[in-house]
This record gives sequence, structure tokens and C-alpha cells, in this order.
Amino acid sequence: MPPRLPFAQAAQCCRRALEVPPKQPSLVSLFAALSVQTRSASILASLSDNKGAYHKRIRRGRGASSGYGKTAGRGMKGTKARNKVNPWFQGGQTPLIFKHGQKGFVNHRAPVMAELNLDRVQAWIDAGRLDPTRTITPRELVRAGLVGIKDGIKLLARGKNEIKTPIDIVVSRASAAAILAVEAAGGKITTRYYTKAAIKNLVSGKSVHTDKPLPFGPEHVESVLQQARTSRKHFYRLPDPTSRWDIEYYRDPAHRGYLSHTLKTGESPSLYFKVPGEKPLMGKRSKKTADASEERLF
Amino acid sequence: MAGKGMRCLSEAMRGLSLGAPTCRTVPVRTAPLISRRSMATEAPVSNITRSVAEQWTPITTVPVTVHAFPTLEPRSLETYSAKHLYLPLRRDILHLAVVYEGDNTRQGTAQAKTRWEVAGSHRKVRPQKGSGRARVGTKQSPIQRGGGKSHGPRNRDFGTSLNRKVYDLAWRTALSYRYRRGELIVTEDGLDLPLPEDFLQQAQDGLLTRELEDAFIQKYVGEMLGAMQWGKAHGRTTFITGDERMNLFTAMEVAGENGTALQLQDVDVKDLLETGRIVMERSVLKEMIRQHRSDLVSSIVVPGMKHLKEPALGTVLYPLPKSPVA
Repeated sequence: MPPRLPFAQAAQCCRRALEVPPKQPSLVSLFAALSVQTRSASILASLSDNKGAYHKRIRRGRGASSGYGKTAGRGMKGTKARNKVNPWFQGGQTPLIFKHGQKGFVNHRAPVMAELNLDRVQAWIDAGRLDPTRTITPRELVRAGLVGIKDGIKLLARGKNEIKTPIDIVVSRASAAAILAVEAAGGKITTRYYTKAAIKNLVSGKSVHTDKPLPFGPEHVESVLQQARTSRKHFYRLPDPTSRWDIEYYRDPAHRGYLSHTLKTGESPSLYFKVPGEKPLMGKRSKKTADASEERLF
Repeated sequence: MAGKGMRCLSEAMRGLSLGAPTCRTVPVRTAPLISRRSMATEAPVSNITRSVAEQWTPITTVPVTVHAFPTLEPRSLETYSAKHLYLPLRRDILHLAVVYEGDNTRQGTAQAKTRWEVAGSHRKVRPQKGSGRARVGTKQSPIQRGGGKSHGPRNRDFGTSLNRKVYDLAWRTALSYRYRRGELIVTEDGLDLPLPEDFLQQAQDGLLTRELEDAFIQKYVGEMLGAMQWGKAHGRTTFITGDERMNLFTAMEVAGENGTALQLQDVDVKDLLETGRIVMERSVLKEMIRQHRSDLVSSIVVPGMKHLKEPALGTVLYPLPKSPVA
């Protein structure tokens, strides 16, 4: 046995050294310490993985002793012993899929959202991986490893009781319960339109995040031009929605949309339903009626 | 018995005036005072269950003595984190690591020629009919002598993969296993085997033949390790150094029945588990743990993130830094 001080003995030794005056050790004890024998048997022979860690693959049709030999578990003669039966097969009766045809479709162009739940947000904040003192944008979320880059980020309400930190967060979409939970914790939530390319640009620093829509109108031309002339680095601007569904989503204050400030009092976020009585359906009708009264014969 | 031996040794060390100051300076965790004190009127406390009031404080560091070689005189005392050298024995993790190493060590270079690779003409050996013998096409056919091998061995890679964090855990589990059994001996840097001066002189003068040299070294190493109870009768010894040491490596090659010598880069987990004890330099132990701690060190870098502090790699307790060593 080689000389080594195990902690237990070290502790004892320490106490003794403090309490008892040291005695001179005898040579016998010194040699006794060196002559402690241990049986040397390698541990290698007794290593094994945990029970149940391996599942041995069933090798069908490899001999009678395996139990899956002759018929390989497929029973006696028949269709199922020879080939497989399609799941839609109805015994020869015209299957539903042929009788009525395919129903529905898969929209391959639908935006795929990265789902983000509130308990994960809180866990990241607790672990110090997300800074709650600053606005949490997709850039922060992606860089913290919370979500990957997809067409957008949707905030969901799993663990809504766990969120305690007031946060200022900007995401693509948010569920009603998530909005409620974030605001109940004293936080602020905004939804903003993003595309995959926009999130990529944000993460790589080619865009600057803003929750304002693009400036529109002649009064903005001068300031935008001025900024383009003075700034040395070019930044890609974040896009605004163009499809009707998206515009309506971000106009809705219930979604905390970033376009909701454009709504006038009493105006619906819908682009189809107008506020009644505010504006005539056809702009020129009143003028025409006036002209008609002048040309009246009687 | 081992415990008694240890106590004897610590007393011996104190006698060498190294043990006592070491012990005073070492902040080794001792049991709480209450549990140590025993009074005559005190009822005997059952140690089957621990009192709720008694606080459970697990060990966080373990001591490592650095020895001189071959005298085994203790020279300094260091502490390592329990996560480095006092991990519980996980036979399954060690098994995974050993199997993984074995798989990746297989050469997989066995190759037989198929009928398409055997050289030669593909001419029909003899006419289809009329010879009175069996019909035969080409002479490369597997049933022909000198023909190709059907379903023969092909070059392939037997290597498997193991998650890096699991493999690193296996390394430290193996070290911990050795440490706990007292089979991990740490020496000062520059571990080498001292050979007698006159032998070296004679060998340099060319007075000894190769056979004589080898026979002497074999006997010398056998007797030396035998006297230390490190030899063949005690399960052999593995020496691990940072780079190649001429005397040590030659001697262990000649006297291979008593142990082996390896460089750090050649060591596997299996090597750590094989022989009766592992003797390594202080820097080798440090480097070995440093290379295998991926499960303790986070690779995630987030600005403003609070990193978990990784345990220190060997803190020297004795001799104290910046103090004159007696």
C-alpha cells in the first residue's frame, strides 16, 4: 500500500497534532505502514453496463432455437405471412380514400414559429442567461440559445405562474394567456412582424431592432436621407407586414401589436369591416346628388 | 488494517517534522465538536440513523500527497476537488469508456479478394459440353481453387462514439477509484528511474553486451519494485510521465513483467484500471484532469452570463507559497 493521507486520517492526525504532544514514532510502525498488503485484482473483469441499458435486437428467421425461426413470428400461411396490408385497405370494399378523396391540405408556405414558453424564459433569467433589465428581442432570445431561427417566435403560456420577473419582450406572436401572465408580473409585451431573414439579420447585427413601423410619407424623406448620408454602416431595415392577415394581427391591441397605435378611436383592426357612419361608402356620391339637383327639370 | 497502517504512517511523517506542520496548516474538515465529545453520562448514540440536527456537510476537497521517487518521501500536499478525484464508482460509465476505447482501437484491416478482384482472364475454362466434367465458367469463381472469397472480410471501421462528457466522467471516475483505494501515487515532476552510476558508466564505455545490460536492468527493476511491493507479485505498476524518460521507459520495456511506462498522450481509461497501482507526475495528474472536465466546464458563452465556477485544479497546501522551506 503506498503512503497516502486519506482525509479521515488526515483529520485525526490534525486533531492529534493540536491536542497531544507528538511522540517519536518507532521504526517498526514505520515499516508496518509500508507493508500493508492489498489483493491486486483488476476491476476490468467486473465492469458492465446497467441492467436494461441494452436491448438485444431480435434476429428473425435465424433458426428454430431463437423462437423466431421458421415463420419469423408471422404465423401460418396467408397474406399477412407473405406481404403487408395497406392501412387503408377495407377488405375489398372501396376504401374511403378513393370513395371521397383526400380531405384538406398541408400549407407548406405557412410561417413556422419557434415556440417559447414562459417557464423557460424565467429559468433562463434565473440562470443569468437572459438579461431582464433590457428589452428582450429575438436577437437576445436566439443568442441566449432559447430558440432557433425560424419564421418568427411565438410566446406561449406554459408555466405562466412561474414568471415573476417583469420583462420587456418583443416577439412575433403571443398567446392571450401569455400576454396576461407577462403583464400580471409587471412586464410589457409587444408583438412585431419578423421574417426569417429579418431575425437572421438581427442576430448577426446587420439590422437594428425597433418596434416602430417603417416611416411612410413625404415628411420622413428628409430625415431618412440625412441618416443614410451620415451613417457609415448600412443596416437592413426590419420589414412590415404586407398580407392582410398579418396587418390585421399587428393592428390589434389585443395582440399588443406594434401597429395598434395606428388605429383610430372606435376603429376595428379588421381591414374589411369599416366603422359605420364615419365615411361614406362611395366618395363622390354627395357631389353627384348635388349636380343632379341642379339639372333637375322640375 | 489499512487504517492502522495509515495512522502509523502519519505518525511517522510527523516524526520527520513534515507531518505536524502540514496538519496544522491543512484546513481539513473535521467532525463537529459535539459529535466528537463523549461524556461518561452520555447515552450511546446509535449511528444507524443520523440526527436531524446534525448537519450533513459533504466532502468538497480531498488531499493528495506529492512524493519523491523512489524514496517516497512526502514533499508537498495539495488538494483536489471531490469532483476531480473523489467521484463515486460508476462501473457502467467505466464499461462504456473501456468498450468505446476497445472499439476504436480495432484495426479493421482484414481484406480478402472477391471474384471480381482476383486477377486473371475471364475466359471460359473449358467447353460447356463434351468434356465429361462439371461445367465451369471462370477460374475466379469462389468454388475454384485460387478463386475469389465470397463473403470474405472487408476493411471496415469498428469505431463507436461516446458522448464527450460521459467519457470525461469515466476518466475522473477511474482516477477517483484509484485514489480511493490508495493506488494513485503522485510524484514530483521529472519522474525517472535512477540506475546505479557504475552500471551506467560501464554501459557507456561499451563494456557490457546488450544481453548483459538487459539482464542487469531486469534484475535491478524486479528487485527494486519487489522491495517496494510494486512488482509482479503485487499486480505490477504503471508509470505515467509527461514525455519519454530514457531510463524509465527502457527499463520498463525490459522488465515488462513488473509494470509499464506510458506517456500521457498514450494513456487510456483502460490503462488506468489495469495494473495494481498508477504512479504519475504531479503535472501529469493536473493535465489529465484538465483535459477531461468537459462536464464541469460550460462551453456556453453568453454575454453577461453568470458562469458556474469550476473547481480549482490542485491547490498547494504545503509547502506554503512564499515561505522558506525548511
